[in-house]
Amino acid sequence: MSLTVDSVTKKFRRFPALNGASFVAPQGSFVSLLGPSGSGKTTLLRILGGLEFADSGSVRFADLNWLDMPARTRNPGFVFQQYALFKHMTVADNIAFGLKVRPRSKRPSKSEIQDRVKSLLDLVQLPGLEQRYPSQLSGGQRQRVALARALAIEPRMLLLDEPFGALDAKVRKELRADLRRIHDHAGVTTVFVTHDQEEAFAVADLVAVMKDGRIEQYGAPADVRRNPRTPFVSEFLSV
Amino acid sequence: MKKRYLKPTEDPLWLKLILGAVTIGFIAVLLLLPLVLMFKEALANGLNGFWASMTEPDALASVRLSLIAAAIAVPLNTVFGIAAAWAIAKYDFRGKTFLVTLIDLPFSVSPVVAGLIYVLVFGMQGWLGPTLADHDVRILFALPGIVLVTIFVTFPFVARELIPLMVDQGRDEEEAAATLGASGFQTFLRVTLPNIKWGLLYGILLCNARALGEFGAVSVVSGHIRGVTNTMPLHVQLLYDNYDYAGAFTVAALLAMLALLTLALKSLLEWRYADELAAAHRR
Amino acid sequence: MSAIGLKLLPLRSRHVLPGFRLSLGFTLFYLAGIVLVPLLALVIRPVELGFDGFWTAISTPRVLASLRLSFGMALAAAVIDSFFGVIIAWVLVRYRFPGKALLDAVIDLPFALPTAVAGIALSTLYAPNGWIGAALAEYGIRVAYTPWGVLVAMVFIALPFTVRTVQPVMAELGLEVEEAAATLGATRIQTIARVVIPMLGPAVLTGMAMAFARAAGEYGSIIFIAGNIPAVSEIAPLLIVTKLEQYDYAGASAIGVVMLIASFVMLLALNGLQSWAAKRR
Repeated sequence: MSLTVDSVTKKFRRFPALNGASFVAPQGSFVSLLGPSGSGKTTLLRILGGLEFADSGSVRFADLNWLDMPARTRNPGFVFQQYALFKHMTVADNIAFGLKVRPRSKRPSKSEIQDRVKSLLDLVQLPGLEQRYPSQLSGGQRQRVALARALAIEPRMLLLDEPFGALDAKVRKELRADLRRIHDHAGVTTVFVTHDQEEAFAVADLVAVMKDGRIEQYGAPADVRRNPRTPFVSEFLSV
Repeated sequence: MKKRYLKPTEDPLWLKLILGAVTIGFIAVLLLLPLVLMFKEALANGLNGFWASMTEPDALASVRLSLIAAAIAVPLNTVFGIAAAWAIAKYDFRGKTFLVTLIDLPFSVSPVVAGLIYVLVFGMQGWLGPTLADHDVRILFALPGIVLVTIFVTFPFVARELIPLMVDQGRDEEEAAATLGASGFQTFLRVTLPNIKWGLLYGILLCNARALGEFGAVSVVSGHIRGVTNTMPLHVQLLYDNYDYAGAFTVAALLAMLALLTLALKSLLEWRYADELAAAHRR
Repeated sequence: MSAIGLKLLPLRSRHVLPGFRLSLGFTLFYLAGIVLVPLLALVIRPVELGFDGFWTAISTPRVLASLRLSFGMALAAAVIDSFFGVIIAWVLVRYRFPGKALLDAVIDLPFALPTAVAGIALSTLYAPNGWIGAALAEYGIRVAYTPWGVLVAMVFIALPFTVRTVQPVMAELGLEVEEAAATLGATRIQTIARVVIPMLGPAVLTGMAMAFARAAGEYGSIIFIAGNIPAVSEIAPLLIVTKLEQYDYAGASAIGVVMLIASFVMLLALNGLQSWAAKRR
């Protein structure tokens, strides 16, 4: 049940965003895509989430031909930098959204949904906030709700696009540790996009350093740090 | 590689075609067809007929009256708009939101009611009517009444464009100018005005279009004296009611061309100077 | 006026920038002179008339019919314009096609076109021998000189209000919430019904309220096409004009007061809608 990304390319008009990106993430691993802006990391993540099309290449997840499936059947838990919470819904309704839109045969009962919401709020450490609206929460709290919403659908994988980019340093650190704890608890393969190397190295099992739409180096954080394979990687990590 | 499914934010082609057709059809039938008809009717008697209707003395008198009314109302409302926006954007005081609501009030009042209130003030049965009659001052059924109601209906245009714009821009630049020793007037002329000039122009443009085109309010106070107190829109009504359709549509086409010119300038401002207009008009 | 002046007294009496007294003073003076005092002449009219006189003036069948027509058709026009307004805004915000800028500019035509001009054009167009009127006449439908003519003119005049209120909110909505809904398993229809439309809700209602207020008070574009048959296709603003021409000031003022109250109610409703929308930010 590993995730295999093979030579994925993507052009926006004439600008090549991805230039043959490949990596393999074992089941249940936590991968950070790290790179400067414009390196293609967000594009790759959006292709994994079904929000963007690849021009060529393939992605296999377990034995699924991942790129052939539309976003809504992939069940990727996607977390956006700007939260993308539904502002007109309470926290509970936000988290329950993915369950409520299921076809009736697969939809959990009302009480099951309620229980699930409660346990997810406990998991992201926001117990009792069911009836609040997103506008009544702090940035960190909103991102916790977004995380709970993504986990509610029991996603096949968890995709996070600079999830802490809009938060201040102290909140980032707290959330980072919680994210790792939640990942370990859920046991779901996670791909995490960031331009902050400290963050990438602190949480991930595997780090992919990206540049110009390619993966320059891929490996365990300690290996990458000890043996940068290209001048770009060593320079990027020394900043 | 071919697309095998749609992006989650992309509508399927059939939906795009249906919504696009509804939009174009609705706009074409509701908005464009009347416009086409108007120019066709105006030219029903050829260009010569168009010219004859336009240069007819009563038509010219109505053009003159409309221009005079706009020439008084627009500058006054411009001065008011600048003063109101300055007071609201540059100072803190209680009741500010209430003041903004009051400034918008004329927009939500029916034009006929706008005319009515001036009749109640200046009419023979009104507050000031008898006194004014004693001194032989005519407000109603004369130029002053027409100008007053025109001011009323175009009252908020400049202010409502400038208020959000100047609130957005804050006070830093003016305060900096003040610390550098500029007088209030210098500050306004050299710091504020350059920042708001396109928004100001935008407001004046809309104010002017409405001033030239106002019908309901003016209709109540004008007295409909042909060639004397008929503005262009009232002259259109008079000709139309007298079955002079070519004449009516000629004056109407003239007003329509003004409206189209206004729209073109407005779009140009929105497109070219988007950053210097109030947020609502940025595209 | 002095009461208002007192209410608006600044919290701080000293300001960094000069001109506070001058600008606010002029603003209040001009506002009072042009808008508030003349409005007061109408507002206190029922007091002058006495409640009974006011009620007698309002409760004639002809007046009631005109009010029902103006407000009823304005509501219908607001609903129709909101429906098409959302579709038009969606097409203008989301799709790319040649001529889009022109289409966008044309939306404001009813706003820029003098109402009398629109009135004679619509009237000619929908008359039994007009381009559209003739086509409809074949199906036995009459628009001009019936209440439907009132509706057509109101739909025309109020369209920009709905489109222009929804359009910027739609543009600001962004694609991320829709993407989020899709990744959570929602179909396109579910996304639109449960996410997009509710998020546009306040803007749609605001546009609808503005369209209603504009349509209910509209005069110029309607009177040519309506035929103005008393108690059938005679709108309330026209009845005010008619009564004024007959020197029935009491009758005209009574209708005017009702229309003014409706304006105030709409203004309050709009303010309420705005603070509701602001809370969701």
